[in-house]
Amino acid sequence: MYSCVSTLALRGLVGIEIRAEADMSEGLPVFEMVGFLGGEVREARERVRTALKNSGIFLPPKRITVNLAPADIKKSGTSFDLAVAVSLLKLLGRIPPESAEDMVVIGELGLSGSVHKVNGVLPMLIEARNMGIGSCMVPGDNIAEAAAVKGMRVVGVSSLEEAMGYFEGRLPAETIDSDAGTCTPGSGESLDTVDFSEVNGQESAKRALEIAAAGMHNILLIGPPGSGKTMLARRLPTILPELDAEERMEVTKIYSVAGLLKEGQGLIAARPFIAPHHTVSAAAMAGGGLIPRPGECSLAHRGVLFLDELPEFSASTLEILRQPMEDKEVNIARAAASYTYPADFLLCAAMNPCKCGYYPDRTKCRCQESEVRKYLGRISGPLLDRIDICAEASRIDYKDISTGMKGESSREIRGRVIRAVKAQKERYKGTGIRFNSDISVKDMDKYCHLGRKEEKLIREAFECLGLSARAYHRMIRVSRTIADLEGASDIGCAHLAEAIGFRNVDGRYWNE
Amino acid sequence: MNDRVERAVRNDGEAVRNDGETVRSEIRFITRFEEEFPERLRFIPGCPSGIYVKGDLPNPEIKTVAIVGARACSEYGKKMAQYFASHLAAAGVQIVSGLARGIDGIAQRAALDAGGVTFGVLGCGADVVYPKENEEIYRLIEGHGGLITEHPAGTPPLGPNFASRNRIIAGLCDILLVIEARLRSGTSITVNNALEQGRDIFAVPGRLTDGLSAGCNMLIRDGAGAALNPDDILKALGMLCEEPVSLVSHAGETPHGKKSNGTTTNGEAEAGNATTGKTAKFDLTPKERLVYECLDLYPKTVDEIMRTCRISVSETLERLMSLCLKGAAKECGRSNYIKMI
Repeated sequence: MYSCVSTLALRGLVGIEIRAEADMSEGLPVFEMVGFLGGEVREARERVRTALKNSGIFLPPKRITVNLAPADIKKSGTSFDLAVAVSLLKLLGRIPPESAEDMVVIGELGLSGSVHKVNGVLPMLIEARNMGIGSCMVPGDNIAEAAAVKGMRVVGVSSLEEAMGYFEGRLPAETIDSDAGTCTPGSGESLDTVDFSEVNGQESAKRALEIAAAGMHNILLIGPPGSGKTMLARRLPTILPELDAEERMEVTKIYSVAGLLKEGQGLIAARPFIAPHHTVSAAAMAGGGLIPRPGECSLAHRGVLFLDELPEFSASTLEILRQPMEDKEVNIARAAASYTYPADFLLCAAMNPCKCGYYPDRTKCRCQESEVRKYLGRISGPLLDRIDICAEASRIDYKDISTGMKGESSREIRGRVIRAVKAQKERYKGTGIRFNSDISVKDMDKYCHLGRKEEKLIREAFECLGLSARAYHRMIRVSRTIADLEGASDIGCAHLAEAIGFRNVDGRYWNE
Repeated sequence: MNDRVERAVRNDGEAVRNDGETVRSEIRFITRFEEEFPERLRFIPGCPSGIYVKGDLPNPEIKTVAIVGARACSEYGKKMAQYFASHLAAAGVQIVSGLARGIDGIAQRAALDAGGVTFGVLGCGADVVYPKENEEIYRLIEGHGGLITEHPAGTPPLGPNFASRNRIIAGLCDILLVIEARLRSGTSITVNNALEQGRDIFAVPGRLTDGLSAGCNMLIRDGAGAALNPDDILKALGMLCEEPVSLVSHAGETPHGKKSNGTTTNGEAEAGNATTGKTAKFDLTPKERLVYECLDLYPKTVDEIMRTCRISVSETLERLMSLCLKGAAKECGRSNYIKMI
């Protein structure tokens, strides 16, 4: 006697089909589970046995073997419980033998027979749909997330009893046909509770953030303590273009795997804003663990990774960001397998100009020049090289706080940003480039043509300011974005000059 | 006293033995009983029993000004140190200072750049380079002045040495010029020494709210000369400056035009010259001049400039950039700009 039910395992964000096979034969009474199981999967034996018992089903005193095939893939997590239980029910003849065909079964069991929420349902179901499976059974708490997968019939169950009832056709379980493509929008959790109009003054920093958002340029904010660097950065997601359907799916997949989706939450609508504390370890930043979980830089995918007090981060943590910033994904290799998580984020860093925070205001700053240099020197050159824009958040005057005059709202700024993003989409159609910050040196002539006047300006600036070749290319990219914001087809002198003004600190020193 | 001299000489002998031939040929030891010993130093309280000299000694016939100030100085202090040192050096004044970080080093460097003569009084052996930043000055000073110390070769830069070398700085000069100093600072030791020795003291005034200028402002209140111009110092030295330098054209604080026109008819031509001279120097468009006038020797942020000029961020940055390219402004720190004079 043999039965089989399909379920899924995850490796990173990639689902792998797993078959929960069950067999019953004569012999000494034993219930055994095999198939390269991790600790938590081995424990499933006790959970399944007890959950079945408490649902009124006793395992017969026979030799019962469950195999999770293919047996050469390490299984981990608790999402196999329900599939094993359903497979046994089929084996025992408690549900019709054609049950759970063309269906994947995912869920964790409690001892009472209840079905609990599991992580990673969304990427699993996307894989299932790609394999051509049309329906799924998931825990009731995961139903909103599962419903986001188009063309999938979703059955939500909250107990084993309900699952049995569904297969017997006795109880109508909560089902959603997402064939119609009704994609439940993300509930709550909108970051738009903050707005740029709440920031008084700081015009140049705001402008720099607008440019950063329009071209997805990494940005460094420098300013004395209490100047509102964090406040500004928190508002950055509110001016980024909204996540499109595909991006929502990508972001939700990561959050699903990380177990960060709230109960009953569907697709994530707001761009992530991740602000790890500066004591964060390298493994937490990139993702880690025996079975690597997505790290902070993957959680910031399609959103903003905000590093406050940049020089306080440990060097190894910052260095680890270099690969994701280049490749837009992070590779984590472990003994069992190698995992890839996407990590395409906008890096927004903030720091004080020196240890005390007030340089170059000499009425307050008593740091020696050499100390100031040392402070900036803590950030490695290669990381600075990947930051296109640098802006200063200046100290707030009383005048700024007291005037009731409101700044521009996030909606107005976002309007301009979206226009610039549209222009970029049009320009880079079919090239694989998404934003101006992605333009390679090779393509620079093609997309960032400079007229004679502009050439002259940049040559003078180059000589006068002693810029490096890297700085030169960064500046051209930024000026392309500034031109896009203005709706100009060619880069003009004004755009270049502004880009030079916002250029990042070159090399290791503030000036000279 | 003789005992001490002997000991010093003996110490010197050891240093020579340790460091070899070259040191002896470069560094000379002059006791206070030798004729070469600077006359001015001979009668100061706590006169050293002898000094080590690398290079020349100050010429007693030529007027000497000591320029001292804070180590962590502001952009304003830097500019003022350069301004005073280069003009005084060009006028033929010998510049004495402590070769420290900040004002000292900047003033001596400016004096050398202006083709003048400068002397560094050290708190360590004459063969010890301290601080590292001023290594180039150590090299350049040869043939254009010298290094003076009361410590034998190889003496490391120890804290107390620096306070005590200040009396030699004060002793060597006719006038002590303080560029930037906090209320309680190493500079005040030099000032006290100079007062004790009866030297004239000048201070460069600064803003009342500026901690770095507080020491200078207080000196002026207490009767020190206000150094508004290198001419003030040359006048006090009894020297004539060949080219009178106008402060207005340098500080650029007064709105040119109406005010100077109104006051004197004589000054009109000069002020007009200064203004056109300034514009001619940088060749600014009216738009650029608006931003230029908003700048100061104190660093100002883009936001401040923008607010004063009432123009947009992009416009401000554009104009600042062209000012920088024309050499009329300089970025110091991030997004902080000062005007060049």
